Amino acid sequence: MGSSEKGRGRASLLAATAVAVLAAAIGLVACGGGGIEGGGSKEVQTVKLEGKPSGSLTISNWPLYIDKETIPDFEKETGIKVHYIEDINSNEEFFSKMQPLLQEGESGGRSIFVLAGYETSKMYKLGYLQNLDKSALPNVERNMLQSLRHPPNDPNRAYTVPWQSGMTGIIVNKELAPEVRSICDLFNPKYKGKVDFLNEVRETVPLVMKCEGTDPETATEADWMKAIEKIKGAAESGQIRRFTGNDYARDLTSGDAVAVIGWSGDAVQLQADNPNLEWRVPTQGCMQWSEDMVVPIGAPNPTAAEAFMNYVYEPKNQAQIAEYVNYVTPVEGVKQIFEKQDPELAKNPLIFPSPEFTKTCSPTPPLEGEEEQNVIRAFNAVLNG
Amino acid sequence: MIAALRRRTAPYFLLGPGTIWLVLFFVVPLYFLAKLSLESGFVGAFEFNWNWSNYSEALSSYDTQFVRSFVYAGTATLLSLIIAYPLAYVIAFKAGRWKNALLFAVVAPFFTTYLIRTIAWETILSDDSPVTKFLHAVGLAPSGHVLATSGAVIAGLTYNFLPFMILPLYASLDRIDTRLIEAAKDLYSSATQSFLRVTLPLSLPGIVAGTLLTFIPAAGDYVNAQFLGGAGNRMIGNVIQSLYLSQADYPAAAALSFVLMVLIMVFVVVYIRFAGSEALMGEEAR
Repeated sequence: MGSSEKGRGRASLLAATAVAVLAAAIGLVACGGGGIEGGGSKEVQTVKLEGKPSGSLTISNWPLYIDKETIPDFEKETGIKVHYIEDINSNEEFFSKMQPLLQEGESGGRSIFVLAGYETSKMYKLGYLQNLDKSALPNVERNMLQSLRHPPNDPNRAYTVPWQSGMTGIIVNKELAPEVRSICDLFNPKYKGKVDFLNEVRETVPLVMKCEGTDPETATEADWMKAIEKIKGAAESGQIRRFTGNDYARDLTSGDAVAVIGWSGDAVQLQADNPNLEWRVPTQGCMQWSEDMVVPIGAPNPTAAEAFMNYVYEPKNQAQIAEYVNYVTPVEGVKQIFEKQDPELAKNPLIFPSPEFTKTCSPTPPLEGEEEQNVIRAFNAVLNG
Repeated sequence: MIAALRRRTAPYFLLGPGTIWLVLFFVVPLYFLAKLSLESGFVGAFEFNWNWSNYSEALSSYDTQFVRSFVYAGTATLLSLIIAYPLAYVIAFKAGRWKNALLFAVVAPFFTTYLIRTIAWETILSDDSPVTKFLHAVGLAPSGHVLATSGAVIAGLTYNFLPFMILPLYASLDRIDTRLIEAAKDLYSSATQSFLRVTLPLSLPGIVAGTLLTFIPAAGDYVNAQFLGGAGNRMIGNVIQSLYLSQADYPAAAALSFVLMVLIMVFVVVYIRFAGSEALMGEEAR
């Protein structure tokens, strides 16, 4: 090989690298693919219980949504080996990841998912979830909070059991934005570029509607669009700094944001670091929600899954979780335990909200079919500005 | 006879692993992506029906994000070139025994993951940081914040892809036969002339490779816009992510991916035509 040949070899190596990286870049974009066709069976089956719970159990949940002791305690008491994965970061993302498997009647080895009510009702309609056998859930039957027993998406709790519930309102830095008390105040030019909104269409938009004086439960598509239009204006003018999930925590602690739309449980944890941060029920009311445990189709060992659901509905077991996560606990009797152990916590309205505290708050409003598609599209157009 | 046969077939065997890789992980997914991009319906019940309107809708609804992505990526590429060229030049010609140390310094950030480095920029550019205060004082950040603006996204892209510019530039500058530059000086060219007529043309393959390696991934990037951008700074990668993961509109996401791929491909072809394929392949290919 002559020297000029060699030189060319090296140069084309460069070109080859370029082409390879190009291919990789395109490949990265392409990896979202995969064929999805046909409809699943729409007939809902009920879980089949088999004798005494044993074997192993895989649970998918959100990060930081359980204390460190509950799983080992459960394993010790029942002899069931638990594989607990914190792989849910967003309802929609998790759905998109699991959907191809569920379509084939498989659950990826998981027996429990914890997801928001609107997400589980979508999955239920697609035939991806199983009805529960209540005979193995006596604690759930006995101890579930009255207020959570008949949600619009699953009126008799046929396939869902609440994991935790909570409220969406505003988190403010008392020092830097003391007078922010309503969602409307977030549009005050004084706080331009210092306000984060949640990227959750079912929470952010209804909250803005409430500030406009519209009741989200009876809102029409036009009402949704009007609220989205208002949010769009604020995003374009730079009033809204950015749309976030839990990551508003970063902006609040660094001082980049002084008021955000946020979740009650986060606020309790954030206060531990910065006492100036405070969660407030907006003047026109907050949003209330619950995240539910469900058993997907194809779930291995549903007997163990129901045993776990029943276990966490024992007040003393639930108290352990509630103390750690600081969301609204769905189990009756936990408050009584705290009154003895930790009276301070028993008084916290973010963990045990009185009916008085939440009287202006609304449940997640219904949003279905074409209206849902249009609203989600319009809201995402604002997110993607 | 057998030896001749072996000689003829050997290259095909050598190509085998690469070809299998390419078919399995590029051609096959590409086929499914193409098919998906022509489907319609709701999640769980998508139907293949040559739904070309996915493409027209993708283009008309997200033209802003396309333009924005190319402007951000283009600006970042230009900034990278301006920063990288002098550096690569110094490493190639002036660094002496420091050459390896400097090259190591260029690559060192790769020892930390891309994500962590981008998140570090969130801290560097946060509103109360000295950097932001300084930029505000000299009038570069009139609104008082840098994070959550287009400037932050472009800065992030520039920083993250800079090594992809430096390395090919260094490779091409380092190959230059210094006797050619000496010859130019012998022939009474000034320093500027010898740079413009000898060094720069000879380093063209590095410039072309570097700009492609920077521009292409930058145009499809979504991490920088996610962490450093605010409302109104989302790039096309963020749109594809949101369509696929949060709206479960797989056909639209697939169509958008295709449009992005085609636009980048067109850009590359035009660019190479314009720069000349010799520039990419090296002067000997002429």
